[in-house]
Amino acid sequence: MYEAVHAHPDGDSTVARQALTAADYGFDGVVVRNHGDEPADYDAEAVAEAYGIDVVEGVEVRADTPSQASGLVGNHRSKHTVVVVHGGDRAINRFAVENPAVDVLAHPMRGDGDFNHVLANAAADNGVRVEFSLRQVLGDSGGSRVRALGDLRKLRELVADADAPYVVSADPRSHLELRAPRELVALGEAIGFTGDQMREGLEAWSRLAERNRRVTDDSFVEPGVRLDEDDG
Amino acid sequence: MKHLPKHLQPRWRYLAVELETWPDADVDRRAFQREVWYATQNLLGDTGSADVDATVLRFEHDDGTGHAIVRVRRNHTDAARAALACIDAVDGAPVGLRVTGTSGTVRACEEKYIRGPAEPFGQRHVVFENAERSALARQKRVDVRTDHSFVGATDLDFR
Repeated sequence: MYEAVHAHPDGDSTVARQALTAADYGFDGVVVRNHGDEPADYDAEAVAEAYGIDVVEGVEVRADTPSQASGLVGNHRSKHTVVVVHGGDRAINRFAVENPAVDVLAHPMRGDGDFNHVLANAAADNGVRVEFSLRQVLGDSGGSRVRALGDLRKLRELVADADAPYVVSADPRSHLELRAPRELVALGEAIGFTGDQMREGLEAWSRLAERNRRVTDDSFVEPGVRLDEDDG
Repeated sequence: MKHLPKHLQPRWRYLAVELETWPDADVDRRAFQREVWYATQNLLGDTGSADVDATVLRFEHDDGTGHAIVRVRRNHTDAARAALACIDAVDGAPVGLRVTGTSGTVRACEEKYIRGPAEPFGQRHVVFENAERSALARQKRVDVRTDHSFVGATDLDFR
């Protein structure tokens, strides 16, 4: 299972500290999803080797308008393994689910963002994963948490109905905000998800990273065709 | 009051919880117990929190790390785990925590899942983002003191 984290300067802990803590907590990997305007300076391979955990280079694209987002996704697509779009705005949500180059639409319900069956179907058609963000459930209390829970419920029902792909993340900004997989699964069960949904959502990050690494590999020609070194 | 017969006594499970904070945080048992009550009640409601009946039995915290043993009713450990995950700060100090194991007795819990006292911090001077900073280091973990707060790093960041 993987977790997607924000690292310094987009959070309070470096990639290495997030990875070390995540490895302690039993994660198999971390996806670094720093916002595009606050990139982290790190050596993914060195961290992965030192702490025995996969480190995936990702980015969370934050834009005000769909056209700006489109440009940024195009820029980052070739440089990062995982491209996430910072959701929470209706126009941006729609842009993300209609664009197959986007891997994940993050927290679509945050702020004044909303989601509906049309977007859910578009996400399913284009293979854009919708994120269930547990950040507000873990960190907020009172009215804002009640709203976050209501939003998650709505999103869950839409995603399940459209059979759209999804990911789960606690979206931690420091190593102190990380929570272990078993805790996240237990929390998901307490708020209406099934344990399998939570595990699937945490696993989905690793499959996504693996697929994207495969298709950007030099030996990849097109779907179903790749160069095999053993063939003389 | 008279002891309950054995088959009517509540069955407990003991959760070993490992805590981490920034080095300057000061957290005590009472504050942690209060957060446990708030967290269970906020997440599970009055009925759920009465079912879980979480009580902090042991608590140690020193030098940015600590552990606790939380007693909960058997069959409600998952709900307790979920509620504990929602504790993001104690007395305003951010905490990271995780359940390292569950046992049927306090003693087994201590022996299997609680580590001895952490070694104290060492003072270090590091260059972080082109500025000389003081830092507190313990094994691989290095907490760098910046202008207003700390940044969590490891020894890999200073090679």
